[in-house]
Amino acid sequence: MPEKSIQFGLFGARGIKGGEAVANQLDRLAGGIATPVTAKRGWTARLNYLTRTPHAVRAAKAAGLTVTDRTLKAWRDGKRQPSRASLEKIERAYTAVRRQNVAKHLLKRLNRDGRGTRIEIHPLNQSQVPQPHKRVLSMRTMNVRDWDALVTAWAAGDTGGLETAWDDTVVDLGSDWGQYEYVTNVGFAA
Amino acid sequence: MNDSSDFDAIDSLLSGVAPQVPLPDPAERRDLRERAHLSKARVAEALGVSPSTVSGWETGRDPVGEVRKRYAYLLDGLRAKLAPEAIEDAEAVEAEEEAEAEEAPVPAAAVDDDVEVLAAPEPCVLCGNPAAQRIDGFAQHLDPAECTAAEPAPKVPAPKAPAPEASPRKPRGRAFQEESGPGELVTRAVAAALADHGGDVDDATAALVKHAIPDAMVLLDETRKGARYDVVAHPALPKILRKQTAKGADQVWEARPKWTRRVLPGGAHEVTALDMNAAYLSALKTHLPIGQLEHSSGFEHDRRRAGVHLITPPEWEYEDVLPNPIGNRDEPGPLWVTEPTLRLLLRLSGPKHRLCEPPEIHESYTSGSTENLLEKFRVTLTDARARAIEADDEVTLEYVKAMYSKFVSTMGESNYNRELYRQDWMHLIRSQAFANLWMKAWKAHEEGLHVVRAMGTDELHVIGDWRRVFPEGRGVTEVKVKDTYTVGEGS
Repeated sequence: MPEKSIQFGLFGARGIKGGEAVANQLDRLAGGIATPVTAKRGWTARLNYLTRTPHAVRAAKAAGLTVTDRTLKAWRDGKRQPSRASLEKIERAYTAVRRQNVAKHLLKRLNRDGRGTRIEIHPLNQSQVPQPHKRVLSMRTMNVRDWDALVTAWAAGDTGGLETAWDDTVVDLGSDWGQYEYVTNVGFAA
Repeated sequence: MNDSSDFDAIDSLLSGVAPQVPLPDPAERRDLRERAHLSKARVAEALGVSPSTVSGWETGRDPVGEVRKRYAYLLDGLRAKLAPEAIEDAEAVEAEEEAEAEEAPVPAAAVDDDVEVLAAPEPCVLCGNPAAQRIDGFAQHLDPAECTAAEPAPKVPAPKAPAPEASPRKPRGRAFQEESGPGELVTRAVAAALADHGGDVDDATAALVKHAIPDAMVLLDETRKGARYDVVAHPALPKILRKQTAKGADQVWEARPKWTRRVLPGGAHEVTALDMNAAYLSALKTHLPIGQLEHSSGFEHDRRRAGVHLITPPEWEYEDVLPNPIGNRDEPGPLWVTEPTLRLLLRLSGPKHRLCEPPEIHESYTSGSTENLLEKFRVTLTDARARAIEADDEVTLEYVKAMYSKFVSTMGESNYNRELYRQDWMHLIRSQAFANLWMKAWKAHEEGLHVVRAMGTDELHVIGDWRRVFPEGRGVTEVKVKDTYTVGEGS
């Protein structure tokens, strides 16, 4: 990887992995229930989403909502409240199922029949890096035509897969693509 | 065969050396070009020579051959265009022409050759009324009977002079330049919508308004072609620009005015509620940060940067007669304001006005700024709006209105426009509209009107003869009357 940061943050650079930035933006585009899971309105809405159909329940269980049907029913009937650990489980399952459900549609919009979507890559933040160690970095834009790997890894919650997919994507930037392994933000519309 | 071809060659040579076309003297050539606001480069390009050649012609050298004919044609044309400006000379010109016509009776065929039929009528050099033909480079009527105003024109030279100057300029641009560029997008979209809905105005308007946001984004892209700066659509924004809750607002104070005068001047008064036309459209001209906002702390304001600033606002002592430029803020203490508000405060604290102390800047999120980012976009829409008003075209008017207002309202975190995530721009543009309204209130106050109320983006209530301060109309620099009512004792 040319020009990559070997020990990221050693000289004070700040940023996140490119794949993570893509995942953040995909999450923003996917939308979902805005109320936090800790509020009653929030967790009941998530439970409704996860238990609306038998298919949804199966997906939720596969995504880690490992509670008995009896508990689920008690939560839904308002007889019991989920514990803090259970709330986290609900949140994790909700995110996973939501991503799986939305992935297909997002992928279609991002690929746009092969025309792809333009992304903006904002380079890592060097404001805390001493001058001799600073690099010349600028905002870059590129058109990404093939989103399959990125969106699939995001939907599966596969962090390693996202990083690989990101590296495969930014190669098209040119010889200094390694500088964009870490970024502050990746923006695109869908 | 050989003989005849020899003679052909000689004939063509002879025709080449035929009497040289007369040219005005060099000083006049230059004068004509300058009065028409043409650069040497443009003239040279049209004639297919270099600009230095044109300089030579204007300082004494004479062109020869084909290019001389074309140069003579150009100068004739320029003289014809500029002739109405010196309408006093109309009679003299007329006399001259008649003399010429008598001196050198030209064969009928030649006259016909020189008569051009004009697509866009141009003012007749003799009477100033539109004429559909051009003879020898001069637009004029063929039939003297049509030249009706030939006598009255010289009688009133003073008021007549500026009028023809305005009229011939306009069609000149249009006649030689086909409409193209971003403005055409608007025209084409309207025409397509009308065609799709079989000319049904309501349906076409509804369809256009529905498409206004993506159309505005396409227009923005079009207006940024070849521009110096890219539109950065998805920067990482500081926390203060993120919404606190799903339905809540972020921390930026836009300084929206909401002010009513507490004590009215004595007696009964008629108050006029004025409405500023297209306030958000005009507010697109503001200093916008180009890239990602960077944090800085300190008291210095850098005029080349724009963004949001945490300031302690100065005391405002004129609450009785003028609204506070930071709007009616209930909470005391420092607040995040945008660039237009800060610049307004700095301006008011400056040596010219001295209305308040300078604001204290604590920290800022700024980026290098330019006023031109949306300038072409704004001008395109303003032009389309002006043309629509002139042509009484309600469809285009509604469409343009939907484009700029929705563009501003959805350029932030809106799901209706995901191409642009610039909350900072949205705040800055809104604040600019409010600052513009404040400056209008200040202008009214300066001119001796009583400002009674400043509300929202575009509402200003005043007492007094406002017509001498603000022109009335529908243009962006004009105001329209929303309402008049009476206040005070005896009402």
